[in-house]
Amino acid sequence: MRLRTVHVASAATLALLLTGCAGDDTTDTAAPPQTGEGSGDSCVLEDPVPVGAALSLTGAAASYGQSQQKGLKVALDDLAEKEGVTYDLQVEDDATDPKQGIAVFEQFISRDPVSIILGPTLSNAAKTTNPIAQEQGVPVLGISNTAAGITEIGDWIFRDSLPETAVIPQTIAKAKESLGLEKVVVMYSNDDAFTESGYQAFEAALADEGIETTETLTFSKADTDFRALLTQAKAAQPDAIVVSGLIEAAIPLVTQARELGLDMPIIGGNGFNSPQLMADAGEAAEGVVVGAAWNSASESAENAAFLEAFRAKHGGDPDQFAAQAYTGMLLVDAAVREGCSADRAAIQENLGGLSDIPTPLGSFSFEEREPQHPAVVQVVEDGAFTVLD
Amino acid sequence: MLSDYSATLTLIALTAIFAYSFYAVLLAGQLSLGQAGLASLAGFSATIVVPDDPIAGLSPLVVGIPVGMAVGALVAFLLGLPVMRLRGVFLAIATLGFGEMVRIVLINAEWTGGAQGTTLPKLVTPGIAWGALLLVAYWFWRLGGSRLGRALAALREDELAARAMGVDVSRYRMTAFVTSGAVAGLYGVLIAYFSRFITPDDFGFSAAVDGLVTAVVGGSLMFLGPLLGSAFLTSVPEVQRALGVEAGWIRPFLSSALLLVVILFLPGGLSSLIPRWRSPKVDPDVSPPELAPLPARGSPVLSLTGLGKAYGGLHAVRDVDLELRSGEVLGLIGPNGAGKTTLVNLISGLAAPTSGSGTVLGRELGPIGRGHLFAKAGVSRTFQHSKLFDRLTVLENALVGAHVVSRPTLLRRLLWLPSARRDEQRALAQAGAQLTRVGLGDRAGVPAGELAYGDRRRLEIARALAGHPTLLILDEPAAGMNHVEARELSTLIRSLADDGITVLLIEHNVRMVLETCTRILVLNFGEVIAAGDPATIAKDPVVIEAYLGSDGPADTRV
Amino acid sequence: MQQVLNGIFAGSIYALFAIGFTLVFGVLDRLNLAHAATFTVSAFLGIELVADLGLSIWAAIPAVLVFGALLGLIIERLAFRPLKGRNDAHFAGLISSIAVGGMFMALLLARYGPDTRRFPAEAFPTTDFQLGGVRITLLQLVILGVSLGLMLGLAFLVNNTGLGRGMRAVAENPHAARVLGVNVDRVTATTFAISSALGAVAGVLLAFYVNSAQMTMGFNIELKGLAVIIVGGMGSLKGAMVGGIALGLAEVFAVQYVGSSWRDVVAFGMLFGILLVRPQGLFGPRQVREV
Repeated sequence: MRLRTVHVASAATLALLLTGCAGDDTTDTAAPPQTGEGSGDSCVLEDPVPVGAALSLTGAAASYGQSQQKGLKVALDDLAEKEGVTYDLQVEDDATDPKQGIAVFEQFISRDPVSIILGPTLSNAAKTTNPIAQEQGVPVLGISNTAAGITEIGDWIFRDSLPETAVIPQTIAKAKESLGLEKVVVMYSNDDAFTESGYQAFEAALADEGIETTETLTFSKADTDFRALLTQAKAAQPDAIVVSGLIEAAIPLVTQARELGLDMPIIGGNGFNSPQLMADAGEAAEGVVVGAAWNSASESAENAAFLEAFRAKHGGDPDQFAAQAYTGMLLVDAAVREGCSADRAAIQENLGGLSDIPTPLGSFSFEEREPQHPAVVQVVEDGAFTVLD
Repeated sequence: MLSDYSATLTLIALTAIFAYSFYAVLLAGQLSLGQAGLASLAGFSATIVVPDDPIAGLSPLVVGIPVGMAVGALVAFLLGLPVMRLRGVFLAIATLGFGEMVRIVLINAEWTGGAQGTTLPKLVTPGIAWGALLLVAYWFWRLGGSRLGRALAALREDELAARAMGVDVSRYRMTAFVTSGAVAGLYGVLIAYFSRFITPDDFGFSAAVDGLVTAVVGGSLMFLGPLLGSAFLTSVPEVQRALGVEAGWIRPFLSSALLLVVILFLPGGLSSLIPRWRSPKVDPDVSPPELAPLPARGSPVLSLTGLGKAYGGLHAVRDVDLELRSGEVLGLIGPNGAGKTTLVNLISGLAAPTSGSGTVLGRELGPIGRGHLFAKAGVSRTFQHSKLFDRLTVLENALVGAHVVSRPTLLRRLLWLPSARRDEQRALAQAGAQLTRVGLGDRAGVPAGELAYGDRRRLEIARALAGHPTLLILDEPAAGMNHVEARELSTLIRSLADDGITVLLIEHNVRMVLETCTRILVLNFGEVIAAGDPATIAKDPVVIEAYLGSDGPADTRV
Repeated sequence: MQQVLNGIFAGSIYALFAIGFTLVFGVLDRLNLAHAATFTVSAFLGIELVADLGLSIWAAIPAVLVFGALLGLIIERLAFRPLKGRNDAHFAGLISSIAVGGMFMALLLARYGPDTRRFPAEAFPTTDFQLGGVRITLLQLVILGVSLGLMLGLAFLVNNTGLGRGMRAVAENPHAARVLGVNVDRVTATTFAISSALGAVAGVLLAFYVNSAQMTMGFNIELKGLAVIIVGGMGSLKGAMVGGIALGLAEVFAVQYVGSSWRDVVAFGMLFGILLVRPQGLFGPRQVREV
């Protein structure tokens, strides 16, 4: 059966009409400047506050985006138990394509206006999409952007994800103190913005601590066979191997290293901070040091509650992406209640002024729109993360 | 409401430009996938030269765009030199490999920012994007009806036949390649200054594949194809969003399924849905161009000395001496495998001799790849197995034959100069006249692939005649014809000879050969075993033994 | 020496994957870009069989082989058979196989989610051998053995069986083959089934080798597979075997002596080099006259 012009033309017209109709629900291009009574816990807003999340649910970053989505869902459940304010969360997929991210942002800014946008998942996408929000005056809260140059985009851009430059120096310092490092081999994937900026932070921190880097080995973020590199690293006989990589690389790397007989400590960055590390690398993960923004073993009330709620809803443990997403929603709630308003400008002002908010990440404040909370250096012991001392 | 979609609309324009860079090479039948790498290089080059501030009131892109396009074109040229001789899938893989190498080199380079990329100001408005798109589309629209455009289409359909009609295959392939590079460069600069960000990863394997898919879905046979493909594919996620399809695995599944449906049921892509509104037609008031007179009867046309062609140990043609003069009709006969077609390939420049020498219409026989020069010199031919341009119409096939006697029209078409139209009309008249001559005048608009067998043979002859040849080579033109048709063909050949065209005829229909030719050459096992006028040959015992059959000359049909 | 072994083991997996490509191209003159998706999906399936259904990893290999064959039949049916006889079959086949591959990957995402999956640590035998300073695990030997075994089996099939003769006939001239009584449709379907079965086993073997399966593994190997078949010669089984191992070795030496960030450039460097110097590849057929 060959498609005839008339079939295609009718299908196309139908599709365009539907798209047009769907977009016409709102006629103004700014979020309804909703303001209510009261403040803080007593704030009451009549209509749900629209929040948009631009996440990578498919494509290369899908595992992070979906993890973030899970964290957001848990947050919504928790927030629903508080009275006065409800949220209408729309999650959209940018398919790990910055060009689609632009379309999603455009939708959240004008067609289905939201009060604040969470995301996008990848820093490189953020550099493309956030300037649009900045121009149009819509607040954006990054929940996983850790590269440099994000908040610099403008005063409407915030993030709750600690950049590598905030986490790594203390990771190296602690590791040196605890393990007595003199020379190391550094490995990192040089085709990913996150891991590359992590490497740069490692490089600077190692230099500051006076630790010698005997070799720097690069791999691709899609690599899973590290035997050639590890064999070379082994020959250099370092005191530790420092790795800036994503979790997909971390697990095979750690496993293969132990297999090849490399017994020295392995030190990783934020990318290693996932329960998958212990679950899938098993024995090999023992003793791995991970510098992270989120202390999963923290026994604070907020963290314990978060862990419990996440396990109950999704089965399995959350990772840092979920934790930062959850926290992001809490921060949005705090900002909305502070001014008791869903107005974009009000949220921008109040978000920036938040300080000492209790979250699973710790006691959280914004300074110049950057996150301020203590980072943690963890070590894997008996199949779980514990704080390194 | 349009401003709500401004980014989407701009992306449609930019994606279409990228698809045009694929269209440029697909037109010529080349599956090149290096455009993403070219775009990447162009975009990054632009970042080096584009100033921060407007120049004399003009957007800084005024510097960036020409630089980007020049880089794209130059690198395409350099890449093309080694890969040009590759065909089909080999070319695709080589160019993909090129794209990957570019990506890796740029990621490892410091000045590009590596994986963290470079942040850029937004300089591309929807107006600029659509303006650029319209210019690119305009170019390809005017290309469609020009001599170059037709030559590229011919090249795509059948490279060897195109070469035999005088199309300089290497040069035209390179032209398509370089054009593709320039357009890809334009895209690279525009997308960088639209996204405000450029990183080598955005121009990897999946970007190349997306560009190819866009071009093929839109259709690579008609200039609106890339635009349609881009509009369609960019809208699919939007439509899915609007229809409420949940974000997640369903969307890529539906997109892929839709792509499959389009490819399977719409051969020729989306643009095949647009009816061709205007096929070129012959204007009856325009007469064919004034063409150079054919050489005087008796002047030398070709001279071969000891010519030979060996494939490894197999001598297809061995030690052939031949003199041919204008006005002769030479018949070439012999059993199958005797080397007739090989000899003719040598004469028309489509194969290179391994021994001996020869001159055809003033040109020395030499290395292959110069077949088009012989066509320019006045050699034209048909093929043993019809090599028509199936997806072109009958008239267009003949027009390609007129390639060597028509003038390039693209640049003048861009400016809508009337002289281009006049040249086109004259070429059409020339082509139309040949069609009438062979009796196909009323089938001008029919796609060649739909012709009946006999008509295909006649179209080949018309196409060969359209180039106003001095030497016409016919390779088994009467194959499959009954004796009425064969007789008509014989009459046609004699009329061509009367008009001054020298004809070299390969045929198995011996009666026809004896009736039509002034001289006959008999080949067996690559060697000439007899030569002379028809009466002598018919009685020659060596010939009878080898070919005609020992029952004697009465049995002259094979 | 350890590096050489690393290269050989990785190379044998590249070879097994590439053989699938070259088989379809050699016999049917089509490039099947859904091959990478078959590779990935099979790796995930293998893990599911072992982790969730408790199969031993040895049993998972034949199970995945059969599954891969089924996928091959589906690919042929959906992406290639409807294009028979179309004069743009080359390009259209590329796109339709990309589309079918995309559908497979979306279904993969639906079933397994986007996360990387791994075998449970106990699933692997821990035996290893020490030979003069290098360490080889039993698993690695099995991977090498299975790869070589399948490749040799295929070579035997093509050269010594009726099916193989049919495949070679179709490779030479499908019309003539049909006239001579070869059931071209059946040969085509079987070729796809075998090719995908091999690709599927390559996928699960790679998952064994690196103990993980992730969504991007197919893309990574696809480009390398393409480079291998060009280097080895399109349509040449021997070429794919030799080419794959050569690539594996070249990569480890690039890492050792040039620098790890340039490792992937090696594959493409080899590709370009071969195309310029010897376009038919190491073992490819000579060019045939066109007229």
